[in-house]
Amino acid sequence: MRRYRFLFEQMVRRELRQKYKGSALGVLWYFVNPLVLMGAYALVFSVLLKVAGGIEDYPLFLLVGLIVWVFFSQALLSAAPSLVLNGSLVKKVRFPRESIPASVATVQLFTFLVMLAVVAPVALLMRDSLDPALALLPVIVVLLFAFVLGASLVVSVLHAHFRDVEPVLAAALLPWFFLTPIFLPVEKMPGVGEHPWLGDLLQWGNPVAPFIEAVRDVLFAGAAPTVANLAYLLGVGGGALIVGLVLFRRMGRDLAVLL
Amino acid sequence: MSPRPGEIVLEGATRSFSLRHEHSRTLKELFIRGGHAKRTVVTALDGVDLRVEPGEAVGLVGRNGAGKTSTLRCLAGIVPLDSGRAECGGRTVSLLELGAGFGEEFSGRENIYLNGALHGFGRREMEERIEAIVEFSELGEFIHAPVKAYSAGMQLRLGFSIVAHLDADVMLIDEILAVGDESFQRKCLARVSERMEAGATLVLVSHDPMAIERVCRRLVVFDGGKVAYDGEVPEGLLFYHRLLGTTEGASRSVRPGDRRADLEIAELELQDAQGRRRHMFRTGERLTVALEVDCVQPADRAVAALEVRDAHGALCFRTETALGRVDGTVEVSFAVERLALLGGDYDLAVGVFDQDAPGGGLLDRIAHFSVAQTPEGEGVADLRGAWTVSGRAGEAVPR
Repeated sequence: MRRYRFLFEQMVRRELRQKYKGSALGVLWYFVNPLVLMGAYALVFSVLLKVAGGIEDYPLFLLVGLIVWVFFSQALLSAAPSLVLNGSLVKKVRFPRESIPASVATVQLFTFLVMLAVVAPVALLMRDSLDPALALLPVIVVLLFAFVLGASLVVSVLHAHFRDVEPVLAAALLPWFFLTPIFLPVEKMPGVGEHPWLGDLLQWGNPVAPFIEAVRDVLFAGAAPTVANLAYLLGVGGGALIVGLVLFRRMGRDLAVLL
Repeated sequence: MSPRPGEIVLEGATRSFSLRHEHSRTLKELFIRGGHAKRTVVTALDGVDLRVEPGEAVGLVGRNGAGKTSTLRCLAGIVPLDSGRAECGGRTVSLLELGAGFGEEFSGRENIYLNGALHGFGRREMEERIEAIVEFSELGEFIHAPVKAYSAGMQLRLGFSIVAHLDADVMLIDEILAVGDESFQRKCLARVSERMEAGATLVLVSHDPMAIERVCRRLVVFDGGKVAYDGEVPEGLLFYHRLLGTTEGASRSVRPGDRRADLEIAELELQDAQGRRRHMFRTGERLTVALEVDCVQPADRAVAALEVRDAHGALCFRTETALGRVDGTVEVSFAVERLALLGGDYDLAVGVFDQDAPGGGLLDRIAHFSVAQTPEGEGVADLRGAWTVSGRAGEAVPR
């Protein structure tokens, strides 16, 4: 593993620069897209639709949830075609193929961390939410990355086998976004009041929801997430990573022939 | 037991490819056919046993699909085997096709780092080598330009320079020495020999018999996924060319369009002293060009012409002879008692035409043949000279 540390570094560097090479803004484009997206959502939900529902500092509430979602969705969308795009490497040299989707996910992690570094101090200041629970944030981020990495491995190797995976994923992410408690907390989402089981489903049936809740607990509410929630993150993060690695190893055997 | 550094072991190596894999699958296909799509299975490697000792240079030849490239890919660990064993001892580097793993948008220098990393090298190891690689590649200032601006020859230089400096125990190279200019080829071969003296093993896949003869001491001919020949190079090349001759067309016609000539060459064959069809000859051997001419219309002043050109298209020899009046089917042959051509690939063009007919003089049948390399000389013609030396050591020799 140590032998390939330099390779991973090179792959991340390559991934980071390849996409926007030759463009005027270069690497900055990695931040332009999520910022525009978040600006648009903040505008639509807080100003035009007025969903705020009595939530204080609503734009901030929205932003905290959005950065987690943007990380998750951008990582998956760019990981899915990554093996196919790097087919020429896979066919010619032997190296751990996991490094391709992993480097894509890592680049998105950098973007996420930069966003977090901007949003977190603002949230802590505005919400006066500085609390010892903040110490849990790095743990949550590590588990979130494990989850995203595992999912990236799965979608990339599946896409190498079935080229529909990327479009299916792109289509699925849209309704998924609205079922995720980003613009409202679960308890305020429509229908949850009358049907408590719906709340449980939205909370625990969607692996992204507990991550958003946890980050929001720490940054927005200044409180520690529940033990149940943390246990869930540990299970989902570790589980996704293990499933991803195992599946990638099994389905990735013949990548050089498939691509 | 894992192989020693530089040792290569193939034991019962088997690998087949399902042709359905060749194009990408979609979910729709999967649902419609329920995952039971009809597939054609091609066995690329069929129980191959091969052992290469450290420091050996082995050439692999074979027809397309015979298993040589698959062997290389399995040895490089890129494609896994279905069963059996394919292992290389120590550090293995592979150069498969031109420009292995080049990021088009990145500079040559950046690609050197990436390539080293892909082969499992660390930053320090690459920093130690980069200057030597850049110098060897002779790319100069272009090393800072993106690789997409490189010509095929420049990509080759870069790819080879990297692989040659990675201190591998096993080098797997596919079809690489065929490209590039002569002086760089020479430099590559020298570097390869240098690496082999240091104990590295080379496996070279090539269609170019000259490249193989220059570097390799052992030849393995693949046919139908199996080893058909394993031994000395000159005999192996003869074996290979006989193998080609049995199934591929001996010659091809280059007549433009469907214009039918009055005199048609029905058959063109190159034969050895025993009258067997061959495409590989040795300097000094007997070679016979045998023609069968169909006369669609009788001709009064028929002429047969023949010329030999080298791989660059330069004329080596041309001759023609009057056949006189011909009718029906005529057999014509041109016998060369001692072939005075030196190692290389040659084209033989033949034409038969009526001197009085318009549009005559076209040499429209071409056969390809090769002459095995000899240590005695290089070039095109064997001048059959003899060296004599006077003023031996001990006597005063003016300097």
